[in-house]
Amino acid sequence: MNININNLHFTYPTGLEALKGVSLTINAGEQVAIVGQNGAGKTTLVRHFNGLLKPTSGSVTIGDWDTTKYSVAKLASRVGYVFQNPDEQLFSRDVLTEVEFGPKNLGYTKEKIDELVKQALVWTELTDKTETNPYDLSPTWRKMVALASIIAMDTPIVIFDEPTTGQDFANVSRIANVIAELKKQGKTVITITHDIDFCAENFERVIALSNGQVLLDGTTREVLGQEEILAQTYVDPPQLTRLGKLLNLKETVINQQEFLKAIK
Amino acid sequence: MHERLSFYIKRDSVIHRLNPLTKLVLVFAFIGVAFTFPWYWMSLSLFLFVLIPLAFVAKVSREYFFTATRLILPAAGFLFLMQALFQPIGEEIIFQFYFLDATRESLAFAFTIAARIIVMISAFTLLLLTTHPSELMSDLTRRGLPGQFAYVIISTLQILPQMQAKAQTIIAAQRSRGLDTESTFLKRAGSVLPLVGPLVFGSLVEVEERAIAIEARGFTSKKEKTSLHEVPDTVTDKTIRWVLIILIILSISLNLWL
Ligand SMILES: Nc1ncnc2c1ncn2[C@@H]1O[C@H](COP(=O)(O)OP(=O)(O)OP(=O)(O)O)[C@@H](O)[C@H]1O
Ligand SMILES: [Mg+2]
Repeated sequence: MNININNLHFTYPTGLEALKGVSLTINAGEQVAIVGQNGAGKTTLVRHFNGLLKPTSGSVTIGDWDTTKYSVAKLASRVGYVFQNPDEQLFSRDVLTEVEFGPKNLGYTKEKIDELVKQALVWTELTDKTETNPYDLSPTWRKMVALASIIAMDTPIVIFDEPTTGQDFANVSRIANVIAELKKQGKTVITITHDIDFCAENFERVIALSNGQVLLDGTTREVLGQEEILAQTYVDPPQLTRLGKLLNLKETVINQQEFLKAIK
Repeated sequence: MHERLSFYIKRDSVIHRLNPLTKLVLVFAFIGVAFTFPWYWMSLSLFLFVLIPLAFVAKVSREYFFTATRLILPAAGFLFLMQALFQPIGEEIIFQFYFLDATRESLAFAFTIAARIIVMISAFTLLLLTTHPSELMSDLTRRGLPGQFAYVIISTLQILPQMQAKAQTIIAAQRSRGLDTESTFLKRAGSVLPLVGPLVFGSLVEVEERAIAIEARGFTSKKEKTSLHEVPDTVTDKTIRWVLIILIILSISLNLWL
């Protein structure tokens, strides 16, 4: 299921124009990272994918659905969106109810719901916490609950809004695992992140936003190689990439394996 | 997130620039005059010929009419009906509703009460629309109002918009997970239910966090406190206040004398 964004403009009621003409196509099954400084418009952009925001002008289509013609609840069957702040997303008494909420609304059969919920809980390692009230969990685990509650909906497109912020290494690798599993299932994963190493290691394509516009869009290697342009939106390429540049390596390297191979 | 945490509308107008205390005295002047003047047309004229023009001067007329139609008029209408039907005064029956009758006197009485309520609520609305709550409170605490008292007032003023903002986020979260809140009325009513729990619970958690946060900034400290934010108080303000106070005293004495 492709996402087509055509000359999207969005102005908040306060009069602030957060998106100034964004055009993008994201193909089914792609793993895309969106980077850019605070306030660049990343959250505003992805909130258009599930219809929480509707374009001021331009259009967003998910598959064959124009988002202005479908309700958020309808779009939820195609796009799962994990909020930036889990506290804005969680509202149930216990983890199990929370994770079941989405798939139940989408009207799957009982068996399918059970299966999806179980899988989501296993991926996020929440199986032993199903009875806990999400508010009693630490913020890092609340984030995992938010993740589980969206992936259990089994949508072809999944969006994570800054999943790794404030997470320890163990949780970051859990999130990376979830993304890898989703990729195996052929899902589109779109992730907003400020964690550039995480971005280099887990995504094939990177979109850099700056001031409501697309600054760069290409493979991870192409984009992370453009140090000067990225600096405009206050994104630093990974240390290894910068080190490779300083060593005058021929190719842009983005991870350890590539770096080791290049200096051999 | 830019949530509206109070009724305050940030605009630049003469009314916005007045000292908060002046506006507070103005509100009490409105209430004082409306409630002590025995003539029923007094409150209504205050509303029509003073409050409404003031809302235009303050450049908040749109928001003002919005609250008026959604909050003030229904409240006043309800009060009017209750008073008209249940006041056991007067002889001349205008109309009957089962065993309840509305007489000429009870109608007149109900009308007066309702008009007074309209003046009272709409004067407060005007104050809240044009005054930032923290400005009001920092001005009052500077004049000697205890901090705890200011805190209670300010959190009460903020609780409604805050709950509203919170409800909006929860609704967004639930719709993002396929809860249909847009279609039929029945579904909408049904979808209010899963909202109540997190709303109340979340607000309680917030209260505790806020108590800790303000204590960490020395809220109960006994030391003399200074203010970062100076609220201007001009000669015009002082003059207006004295005039209004005299007006209140006059209207009370007029009432006693009549
Ligand atoms: N509800 C809102 N009302 C008004 N302005 C808003 C609202 N939400 C965001 N903005 C503004 O829109 C711009 C883009 O915000 P957005 O949240 O999309 O940025 P972001 O790229 O996600 O930033 P961050 O990295 O901090 O999450 C910012 O200037 C922000 O202040
Ligand atoms: Mg954001």
